[in-house]
Amino acid sequence: MTGRHSGLTLLLIAIVGFLTICPVIMLIFGSLSEGLTASGKFTLAKYITAYTDPALLEVIWNTVIFVGGAATTATALALFLAYLNIRTDIPFKFIFGIISIIPMMIPHLLFSVSWVLLLNPSNGILNLILQQAFSLHHAPFNIYSLPGMVLVEGLLDLPIAYLIIAPAMASFDASLEESSRVCGASTAKTIFRITLPVLRPAILAAFILCVIRGLASFAVPSVIGMPGRIYVLATHLYQMVSTGFAADYGKAAAVGMSVLLASIILIYLYRYLTSASDRFVTIAGRGYKPTIIKLQRSKIPLFLILGFLSFILIILPVVVLFYTSLVPYSMVPSMRALSMMGLKHWIEVLNDPISLLSLKNSLFLGVVGATLGIVLSIFVAYVIVKVRSRSAGILESLSFLSFSFPGIVIGVGFMWFFVRTPLYATVWALLIGYIATYLPYGIRPLSSAFVQIHDHLEESSLVAGASYLTTLRRIVIPLLVPGIVSGWVLMATMFVRELSLSVVLSRPGTEVLAVQILRFSEDGLWGKLSALGIMMIGVSTLLVLLVTLIGRWFRPVDR
Amino acid sequence: MKTAKTMFVVFAALLLAAGSLLVGKGTAAEDKVSFYANITAIEPIMDAFSKSTGIKGEYTRISTAKFLSTVFTEFEANKLMADVIQAPLPVLEMLKEKGVIAPYVSPEAAKYPEWTNKNGIQLFGIEYVGIIYNRELVKPEDVPKRYQDLADPKWKDKIVMANPASHATTICWLIGLRENVFASDQEWREFLKGLAANRPMFVASFGPTPAPIESGEKQIGISMPKYIVTKAPAPLDWARVENQPLMGTPRAMGISSKAPHPQAAKKFMDYWLSKDAMTLLANDVGEYVLAPGVFPPIAGMDKAQVIPIRELADDEIARWGEEFKKIFAIR
Repeated sequence: MTGRHSGLTLLLIAIVGFLTICPVIMLIFGSLSEGLTASGKFTLAKYITAYTDPALLEVIWNTVIFVGGAATTATALALFLAYLNIRTDIPFKFIFGIISIIPMMIPHLLFSVSWVLLLNPSNGILNLILQQAFSLHHAPFNIYSLPGMVLVEGLLDLPIAYLIIAPAMASFDASLEESSRVCGASTAKTIFRITLPVLRPAILAAFILCVIRGLASFAVPSVIGMPGRIYVLATHLYQMVSTGFAADYGKAAAVGMSVLLASIILIYLYRYLTSASDRFVTIAGRGYKPTIIKLQRSKIPLFLILGFLSFILIILPVVVLFYTSLVPYSMVPSMRALSMMGLKHWIEVLNDPISLLSLKNSLFLGVVGATLGIVLSIFVAYVIVKVRSRSAGILESLSFLSFSFPGIVIGVGFMWFFVRTPLYATVWALLIGYIATYLPYGIRPLSSAFVQIHDHLEESSLVAGASYLTTLRRIVIPLLVPGIVSGWVLMATMFVRELSLSVVLSRPGTEVLAVQILRFSEDGLWGKLSALGIMMIGVSTLLVLLVTLIGRWFRPVDR
Repeated sequence: MKTAKTMFVVFAALLLAAGSLLVGKGTAAEDKVSFYANITAIEPIMDAFSKSTGIKGEYTRISTAKFLSTVFTEFEANKLMADVIQAPLPVLEMLKEKGVIAPYVSPEAAKYPEWTNKNGIQLFGIEYVGIIYNRELVKPEDVPKRYQDLADPKWKDKIVMANPASHATTICWLIGLRENVFASDQEWREFLKGLAANRPMFVASFGPTPAPIESGEKQIGISMPKYIVTKAPAPLDWARVENQPLMGTPRAMGISSKAPHPQAAKKFMDYWLSKDAMTLLANDVGEYVLAPGVFPPIAGMDKAQVIPIRELADDEIARWGEEFKKIFAIR
């Protein structure tokens, strides 16, 4: 490691460490303290109680299936969508690109509820249609099942996988595939022997990120798992803290430590599997050409498959949401329901000062937080990919610390930390907490993009007399634009709908959208909740469109 | 490279410094009052209080699960911003034990029954729970007339309720049935067995219980009658159980011992306990309040017997949670 790199790495370790270690340390203290805060007498009792629970084994098994299944579903779907959208001439690709990231913009609670309305075994809309169409006596699908949980979580994690794989796919050098074809390989063989192996870092990064997100997810296990009596780690933790009035988050943190450990092992595994980084470089000094593949005869069938999948998996739940926002209460679609539709919930939300304030605060946190987060991510990703020293490994693990903790406890960790600073109960605590927790959303797409840029490009620039900063600004960053756009979109949409930290740190004046949505949900006000949820999707869509257009303008290959 | 490093230092410093500079300055002036509560939809009362007294009311809503953790953390760090605190009685009792609550008896409390004053903690309502059903799907003759009727096999796969293994209020409510409704422990256990055999659908709390009943996914549930008010015009009604009480955890409030605005806090508590505020709470939110003569606008509720459930310690709740886990075959 050169001196200049070690200096940058240490500086980044200090910044990222400060951002992410503090809440985790507070959680460690909390898990080892008597009482409900992080400052009690030392005890191991919380670990003993948490790990001797006989239900834990079954919970772990369910969690492995849930998380593994969801991550596989998300990654496979993302690969399929990204390949068609970026590498082929499939029509309406811009729209499909947006559709792929819509689940990122929807509060997970709402998306899960939409699926319950579609596929619950009593009167799920899709089940009723299928029962009538095929004269079935029983509902063909039951969303309250492990496959149901895998499907919905997989769809919710799809944007994460898509936004990591898409930039790598965009900077893929098609000459590798052309060489394969020239040598006589079929398209399928080329995909499995050339395309997928070259994309391995992005695919693994997407899978691992989805696994970690799945471990932290609460909405799907709560809305779909609990009614089906299927408990995973998140609902196990919830049960642990919610039985009784004195919720002990220290005990939940004790279980959370295992999740943290598993995440760190996964990160090191990822680094090991992608250690020969040169093999994945696709943008070198010569011949970088992301060619579009002509689908020819398979164009229409693939377009129809993609359209059908997008409609069933993503558009339909959003339509259900829109419908829920128009009917006076939860009702199955019927002529009567149609006749009762109105804008009551929308008007109430638009006249509610707290909802409007939360829209404003979330927009601010989305734009400012994602921008600051992405600046930090560019430097961190650079060190992680290009330096690859032991310190870089530490930096990468640090960036995942807060992210790896189950959402139900990390917010409390931040509260225990921020209460000791002047930032407590301000919007700045939310901003710093968001960046610290969701840093991997910025780092992962950028790392995948960095992996594919050869050092020769930077070296040529430096040899030609450009400063390091000029090289970064004129050579590296323009090639990173797809990664920057992906990272910004992931962070901004996450910040607009963030709940885990907000529910603990938000106070009067710093209300945010997700907290307001949770309030409506706790009061059972699904109409208002859906109306505000759609406004949230609208805000996020605007941000995504804006940054995608800016990204297109900056991309050198498009100009 | 130097420039890159400088950029970073500036970036990090800006992030933290900007925050510290922009932190709102606390004020000792009695022009506002901060209210920490788990009760929902009380904005109309906060507005009415501000109009009536000129003091700005700030409402911080904290869920029951995070209530003690949040208040204790702030209290220990000398950052408790609450002037007035509202939560279920067991939570207020625990706060009082740690010195978070200062004893204050509002002059308005004199109008309440004597048992509502718990040495400085004032009870003002009951988080009442009952049997809620969809009146378009359940025929009048099928509506339960006793709690025991919920164990009838005709309700199989038609019931929704909060998870009895973890939802504290539901656990307390089931214990309330044992102590106030059923003649013997055996009879109560038979009822639980029958209820469990009907395979109720479990949700995390009361919040998600009315939606499946409204939509027809389920027909009946153990839930809060206040949803009949807040979810109107949904076809919800409550089962008038004959000679059996409705029960719930008492809603309590008190003044913080470190209230930043102690005088405003007293004015707020006086206003909250007034008949005007309690009428708003009953009419707009459907709450069952303890101010004499004030009832939620739910047909028949003025005739109902609504009683508080005995306070259960957390250990007892956890023990019963484990027991219900077995009875309802939750895992």
